[in-house]
This record gives sequence, structure tokens and C-alpha cells, in this order.
Amino acid sequence: MRPAPQLLVLTVGQGIAAGLAVALAALWSMGVLTHREAVWLVLLALLTAAIGGVASFFHMHHMAAARYILRRLKSSWLSREALTTGLFGGSLAILAAWSLFGSTASWAYVWWLWVTAAAGLLAMWVTAMLYATIPAVLSWHTPVTVISLLSLGLLSGASWTGLVLPLGDHVFRVFSVALMVFMLFVLGIKALHWRHFGESHGRLRAETGTGLPFAPYRLQDTGTTKPPYRMQTQVWPAIPVPVRNLFYGLIVLFVGVGPLLCLLLARLTGVEVLSVIFPGLVSVGVVLERWLFFADATHSSRVFFVDEPRHPSRVAAAAKKRAPVSQA
Amino acid sequence: MQLTIITDLNKCVGCKSCQMSCKEHNTSGAFGPVPDETPYQDPDGMWWNRIITMESGEYPNTSVLYLPKACMHCYDAPCVPVCPTGASYKRADNGVVLIDYDTCIGCQLCMWACPYGVREFDEEEGVVKKCTLCIDRLEDESLPPQERQPACVQSCPTHARTFGDLDDPNSEVSRLVQERQGFGLLPELGARPSVHYLPRRPAPSPVEREELEEALKERY
Ligand code: SF4
Ligand code: SF4
Ligand code: SF4
Repeated sequence: MRPAPQLLVLTVGQGIAAGLAVALAALWSMGVLTHREAVWLVLLALLTAAIGGVASFFHMHHMAAARYILRRLKSSWLSREALTTGLFGGSLAILAAWSLFGSTASWAYVWWLWVTAAAGLLAMWVTAMLYATIPAVLSWHTPVTVISLLSLGLLSGASWTGLVLPLGDHVFRVFSVALMVFMLFVLGIKALHWRHFGESHGRLRAETGTGLPFAPYRLQDTGTTKPPYRMQTQVWPAIPVPVRNLFYGLIVLFVGVGPLLCLLLARLTGVEVLSVIFPGLVSVGVVLERWLFFADATHSSRVFFVDEPRHPSRVAAAAKKRAPVSQA
Repeated sequence: MQLTIITDLNKCVGCKSCQMSCKEHNTSGAFGPVPDETPYQDPDGMWWNRIITMESGEYPNTSVLYLPKACMHCYDAPCVPVCPTGASYKRADNGVVLIDYDTCIGCQLCMWACPYGVREFDEEEGVVKKCTLCIDRLEDESLPPQERQPACVQSCPTHARTFGDLDDPNSEVSRLVQERQGFGLLPELGARPSVHYLPRRPAPSPVEREELEEALKERY
């Protein structure tokens, strides 16, 4: 699948914003945040949500028709995504105005914090369902896709709280163990997801047939097209195995090992710069993960494209036993 | 009613005249144009019908197979419900799946949802396009009735393609599918394509010389 930068920015931005909204609601309800810290967290969430929202506009290539986008709420997850992402953005904007100019001491503020967090989770869930409910994209068609997108969003949002609350702060000290456990959970989910991606690579091949009798097949010509398949964005030249493995390694490093070390060092030393390194590492890891999520996804139409993994032709191999009578 | 095209894989010789006539008709037709901005510099343009060439079978029983692939006008077209604007729709009266270019936003979600990869993105107009089953020909009353059929069906020199209503049990296409075990591609993905292919008859199996001589000795 051709990776679209707009979708990458949308999903990453939406995840960070929703994760921040959930972290903010939880921390404020526990009474461990100052008003100033809460305002900064809201503004960060609004900024990341806005970046994601603006990016999503650029994914529409025919803006004149954008006014029809909510027409198919009954069946289209994209219609629902436009609605829920819009609602989340709206509730965040209200929350920002409230935090800056209104009274934050009331129960209504806490209630609105949780409404915004729920809107963020709903928006993330709908976006994840959009990907998970497409049977033709074999790699995404699994519930693990939903868990993966949700958990990475929550993790990246939680890591961004480090920009406001120093990692050495007592709040992080209390939560760092829970965060470490959550990181291990995210890595486990990613491992499951990649396993499903691997199975999808092997599931459909011209070799194993496309519904046609007399398999195996070897593709010779796809009918006037060539990589990178400009007109057919649902496919993308296969990623070489060493490049894929490199990405796996980098993602584990940036989402797992690096942030875990940051948290541990922060507990032990309290060095402040780790507060910036921690969200930085997680964010880079999530961007790499999302690029691979798109670029490495197997679409069922791949069986009709020539660059599937090469298997040597057996036509050239000498036949030991059976041969046509005419050649004997 | 479900209009469709049945292709006999025994008759297709891979001449690509259906591919060319589709491009020709739809570049000048009422539903087009198929974008072709720089046809000489960049032949990788938009094609609504592509002929896939495959080598099939195992040595020594190998052969080359040509598979014309355009929209399958699926019964349960997965490209339709995913469309957020309703631009992709399936006509209730004849089952043809079409795209309204005025309401398409070019999000390409339908391209992901289509299992066959027959939808193509028009970068110039920012919308997705695909085979229309030549609906502009089927409904053009200025054409003589025998010409009201898809351009690719009309141009096939070997009459490998047959056009008709698959929901009518007495139609030629229904008869071919019933009698010749017509099949659809990638059935496991549940789109229920209306376009069917007639399977190739197996090539005769080779016989070893010794086996032949033994058989001849036994008999004569
Ligand atoms: S014109 Fe007919 S024979 Fe030629 S490729 Fe098309 S279907 Fe096959
Ligand atoms: S072949 Fe693809 S584009 Fe055509 S109706 Fe089926 S799903 Fe839709
Ligand atoms: S039916 Fe018309 S649009 Fe579809 S492949 Fe044939 S010629 Fe092209």
C-alpha cells in the first residue's frame, strides 16, 4: 500500500491528542496537576489534533465534494471518522477556552475533561475500525489493528505529558512503573500485529491461485503498469526483507527500549533533559511504525502485480522422468 | 437484473484489443475521459481493463493464460458502503457499479476496499475512476440495438467475451456460467463478483514412451 504522508500525520496527531486528553482527565481528577500544567496539556492536545485535522484535509483530492462527506454515516467508517474527529476537535477547543478563561474549580470542568477524553478515544477507535474492516487489505483485517492503534495513541499521548511534567516529578515516579508495563504490552501487541502482516504476505500469491484452476501461476505481465503503480495506490512495491527488519528493530528501539531506559534513568538520576528525550523517542517510533503500517500492508490485488517475492521458474529445470512423447 | 461480462479463457488470445478499445471508447465517450495526459512519455496511464499474462501449470504441463481484468460489478460490492459521500453506488435497476465524479472526494478508500485493484486514481481531477460497463453505450438509444454493448465485448476478435444479464436464468451468460462452471476471482473475500470466467480445459497429459509402448504391446 502506498504510504500517504497525510494519513500518517492524521493518525499520529490524533493519537497523541487523544492520549493527552485521557492523561489530562486522569491526572486532573486525581488532583496532581496545577492549573498551569493543565492549560499546557490542553494546548498541546489542541495543537496535535489541529495538525492531524489539517493533514486530513489534504487527503481529499477533490475539495469541491467535501461537503458531502457525512452522507454515508450508516455504512462508511470514513464518514464516521470525519464526524468523530470533528467532535473531538470541537470539544478540545471548548476545553482550551474553558481552561484559559473559565473557572476550572467546578465539577462541570472535570465532567468536560472526561467528555473530551471519551471523544478522543471514540475518534481513535473509529479511525482504527476504518482500517480493520477492509477485508481486501489482509494485513489490517484483524482486531489487533484496533488495539495497536489505540494503545500506541495512548502511549504517545502519555509520553507527551513529559513535556509539561518533568520525568523526575513525583507524578511520573508514581506512574512510571505502570507506564513501563504498558510499553511492554504495546510491544507485545506490535509483535502480534507484525506476525499477522507476515502471514498476510504469504496468504495470497499468484502461485497459490486467484480462484483460477490449474495453479500454480507465475505472472509475466500486469497489463501496462510498472512500480510504483502511480494510478493504483492500493499497492506498493514489496519492501525488501532487510529493510523491513531494520524498521522492526528501530521501532522496538524507539517505542520500547529507549523510553524504558529514559524512565529508569529519570527515576534514578532525575536529569531534566530526559523529559524531552522520552516523548521525542516515542514520537519517532510511532511515526516509523505508522509508515510501516501503510507501506508493508498487503492488498489482495497484489496477486496481479509482478513484484511479489520471486520464485525461480521450474520451466527451465531438467525433467528427470516425464517428458512429452514427441521429444522422446 | 445484473448486467455482466463472461470471458472464456480458452478463447482469449491476449491480443489486448479489449484493453485498447476500452481506452479508445472511454477517452472519447460520455462517461470519460480516461486521463491520458502524457501518453507518449508515460505509458503507465489509466486503464480500466488490463490484460494480465500468466504462465500456468508445472513443467511439462505449462501454458500461458490471459486474464482480462476490469470491474467485476460485484453483487456485494465492498467499494460501495465504504464511500463516505455516496459517490460510489450500485444501480438498482441493472446492477452496474458506478462513480459520480462530482461527489467523489478522491479519498481512495474504495480503492483499498476493492479486492481486485480495478479502481484507478485520476491525479489530474483528484477522483477515482473505473470500468463503467460502458453504461453510456448500453443506454445510448441513438446506437442500433446490436451495438448497445460494451466496447470490449464488441471488439473481441475471438468472441471470448459475452455480455448479458446474469440474473436471468435463460440468458446466454447464465447458460455459460451454469454449463461451463464459470467462476469468479478471489471468492474468499466475499465480494461476489458478477463477472465470471470460463475455466480452461486441461491440456492433454503427456504419456511416457515406455508407457505407450507397453500399452501398444498389450493391445496388439
Ligand atoms: S480482445 Fe478478446 S481475445 Fe483479445 S484480450 Fe480481449 S478478450 Fe482476450
Ligand atoms: S470489482 Fe471492485 S470496483 Fe468493481 S464492483 Fe467489485 S469491489 Fe467495486
Ligand atoms: S465494459 Fe466498457 S469500460 Fe468496462 S472494460 Fe469493457 S470497454 Fe472498458
